Amino acid sequence: MLASLARELRFLGKDRGAVGWLALALALSIIAVSFGVVEVREQRATIASLLKEDAADRASALEGHAEWGSAAYYAFHLTYAPPSEFAFAAMGQRDSVPWKHRVRMLALEGQIHEADTRNADFGMVGRFDYAFLVASIAPLLLILLLYDLRASERTANRHELLVATAGAPRRLWFPRALVRVATLALLLLAPLWVAAIIEGASFGVLTQASGLVVAALLVWWAITELISRIKAPSSILLTALIGIWLALAIVVPALSKSSIELANPVPDGGEILLLQRETVNDAWDLPKEATMEPFVAQHPELAEYSRIEGAWAWKWYYAFQQVGDQTAAPLVAQYRAARIARDDQAGLVALLSPASFVERAFERLARTDALSLITYEDSVRNFHGDLRAFYYPLMFPEAPYDEALLNDLPAYVPPS
Amino acid sequence: MSRTIRIAHEEWRLWSRSKVVIAAALIVAVLLAGTSFLTIQRISAEQAQRADQQIAAEKTFFTQPDRHPHRMVHYGHYAFRPPPPLAMFEPGVDAVTGQSIFLEGHRQNTAMFADTKAAADMGGFAALTPASLYQLLLPLLLIVLGHAMFLRERESGTLAVMLAQGQTGVKLALGKATALLSVIIIFMLPLVLVAAYALSLGESALAVITLVGGYFIYLCVWGAIVLAASILLRQRAVSLGVLIFVWLFAALLVPRLAINFSGAVIDAPGKIESDLIMLAEQRELGDGHNAADPAFQQLQAEVLEQYGVETIEDLPINWRGVVASYSEAELTDLLNSYAEQRMELEARQSRLFGLFGLASPTIAISTSSRALAGTDLATHHRFLRESEALRFDFVQALNQAHAEQLGYTADINRNVDAASSQRARINAASWQVLDEFRFAPDPASVRLDRAVLTLGILFAWLLLMVGIVLVSARQVRL
Repeated sequence: MLASLARELRFLGKDRGAVGWLALALALSIIAVSFGVVEVREQRATIASLLKEDAADRASALEGHAEWGSAAYYAFHLTYAPPSEFAFAAMGQRDSVPWKHRVRMLALEGQIHEADTRNADFGMVGRFDYAFLVASIAPLLLILLLYDLRASERTANRHELLVATAGAPRRLWFPRALVRVATLALLLLAPLWVAAIIEGASFGVLTQASGLVVAALLVWWAITELISRIKAPSSILLTALIGIWLALAIVVPALSKSSIELANPVPDGGEILLLQRETVNDAWDLPKEATMEPFVAQHPELAEYSRIEGAWAWKWYYAFQQVGDQTAAPLVAQYRAARIARDDQAGLVALLSPASFVERAFERLARTDALSLITYEDSVRNFHGDLRAFYYPLMFPEAPYDEALLNDLPAYVPPS
Repeated sequence: MSRTIRIAHEEWRLWSRSKVVIAAALIVAVLLAGTSFLTIQRISAEQAQRADQQIAAEKTFFTQPDRHPHRMVHYGHYAFRPPPPLAMFEPGVDAVTGQSIFLEGHRQNTAMFADTKAAADMGGFAALTPASLYQLLLPLLLIVLGHAMFLRERESGTLAVMLAQGQTGVKLALGKATALLSVIIIFMLPLVLVAAYALSLGESALAVITLVGGYFIYLCVWGAIVLAASILLRQRAVSLGVLIFVWLFAALLVPRLAINFSGAVIDAPGKIESDLIMLAEQRELGDGHNAADPAFQQLQAEVLEQYGVETIEDLPINWRGVVASYSEAELTDLLNSYAEQRMELEARQSRLFGLFGLASPTIAISTSSRALAGTDLATHHRFLRESEALRFDFVQALNQAHAEQLGYTADINRNVDAASSQRARINAASWQVLDEFRFAPDPASVRLDRAVLTLGILFAWLLLMVGIVLVSARQVRL
């Protein structure tokens, strides 16, 4: 076996076409991880500088207030989801779903849907990252490496002779294909390993990712092997394989995506904003009790401070901001549930398409999948809740303003 | 001429006998028809929905009750961007950008709720549109049909016979080209139908014809690439392999690599980033809510002098309204200068991306196609600019009403009790200041201007590839 592998490796070195495809795989893998590492570092640098500027801005915004309400009105807080150590391999949803916000204690629904995403062309065309390489391009390279193993020998009229001298056909074709698949896997994986070590990705994540790469190649090898047993000219085999690739990597994902989205409609985002906005604005013209009652229902501990004297009070202002969020909450919950339902079903249907499966699995390892970004949004909601929990006990009993207490303002901690 | 047609006819006869060719053509045709149908449905629904939402938003604004004018500034308004007719073929960046924007005083919001945010994530290129089928799939079909059309004659020995009969390589190539061209024309049909439908919806003929022409050139470029490979290469498996590589490179790799590259070369900061830099500047301008802010001292002196009075209480207009109007104008200048910088950087990234059309005809056609359909980044930027102008106009008109229709004393006493709060309101008739907003695509000539460079690149591709076909066909020997 070893001898035949060594022989096939020698043959491979002489096959100019195959060496070309393999070189391309290595080059693409290096390019993909390099761009990924650069992008992740840029995002980290952005977050670092945002944190600094955000702190400076808040410090100055918190100066010279006399009331809790106005301090809370002017102080913004940065929230963000830092890229994980493995994000260089799959930027995933980070290109189309926002991963940083600046929020303050006003109604959250008016703030959390702000989209601070990059150039729209980027989100539309998509980036060349490692996950895309492994999920979509690598199968094509594998097909091109393997499709005419048999057929080329047939064309050269050596096929029958080779099969006859090899004894069992398996002893001939298996080492030949194995050498090619293994070399391709190694060339794809080596840059990933280097980048993962540089970025400090955990061993577990790297092992799973490597396993995914190998498994994806094995699946496509099996498909190629089945097709290339057909006794047909190699151009027909290649056409058939490209057709299968097209179906599995493009058509099935696209059809599944459309049908999942049809089956799970999300509420129109504009409705969430509109509802929240109308509630907040209507409150100005309603009797104060109309705001304070639903507010106290959520915060019974503040009931004794909920009587509003006069035409204006900060606590009334923040109460109707919260009531705005409360009114929109059912729609928001629907929106969130529909996103999760879509993602769950996409996870199931991805079993039909190796390309979708691999890309989604990489995104999950890199924590750049839809669920991770929903987790980030949840953390923003929790933090906003912390802000309210900090200010309400000061604002409602109308505790005397004390700037020193603002040192204990909750700090945002990104989800880990 | 009749010989050319005979050669083409022979090619059709062979195609009609090949199961692979028929299966491939049928699959592409079904996909094209299905995708076009679904996209037309979706886009028409969105068009109707957004137009309705825009009218509803205006109606709600107009029917607000008597209020303090500044309350209306914060009540705000919405701008919607209905997709243009050609979005039925090329939805472009619309899915990524979000198409409604909330307009209010002192803030420039982003367009929210992009479709992609809630999309089912199936990875890579999960969104099929008629345009992406034309850009990705049809070249592949041409490859399957044509990779062996010339070298088959070589393989079967008929080339020698034909050359001996006095045929030239060029004439033979012309026949093959005619066969491919007829396929291209047939597959242009769905696009022509969609384009005609867009035309009936009021799209300009110039844009429609240029779009159809652009895709025709694009497919001809691929036809020529396929023909060149089948003339230059000697084995059909090699020809197919090389063509698949060219396709992989031009349609899949270069576009994404170009995105990585233009993002790495030109750094366009996000909105939060540039907002934070701006906020430091903004603090120096003063806060429009607080008319006693020292930044307004100079303005106060000027206004008092203009009206020849001693105190702001003696002014015939409401000082708080003057301050609101002044600071909104200052702030908007500042916001706009940062927004313009951001958009300019993004536009430069996209222009750089478009130049990669030199390496891939797929980029050349997709960039042209988005520009012509009015679904490109530049259109989105124009939407942002126009909705910003709408925002500024209604906010300033409300501030003017604040200054002219509401007395200063009533205004500062607005929070004393319920009765004083009632007095600090103005008549709802003042809300009529809001302009009607109907976002429309650029005139066709403007869109054409934007597409002209990439269309030129596409045309250069055609000349280059046709040249290569002719030169290699002339040199055909046995």
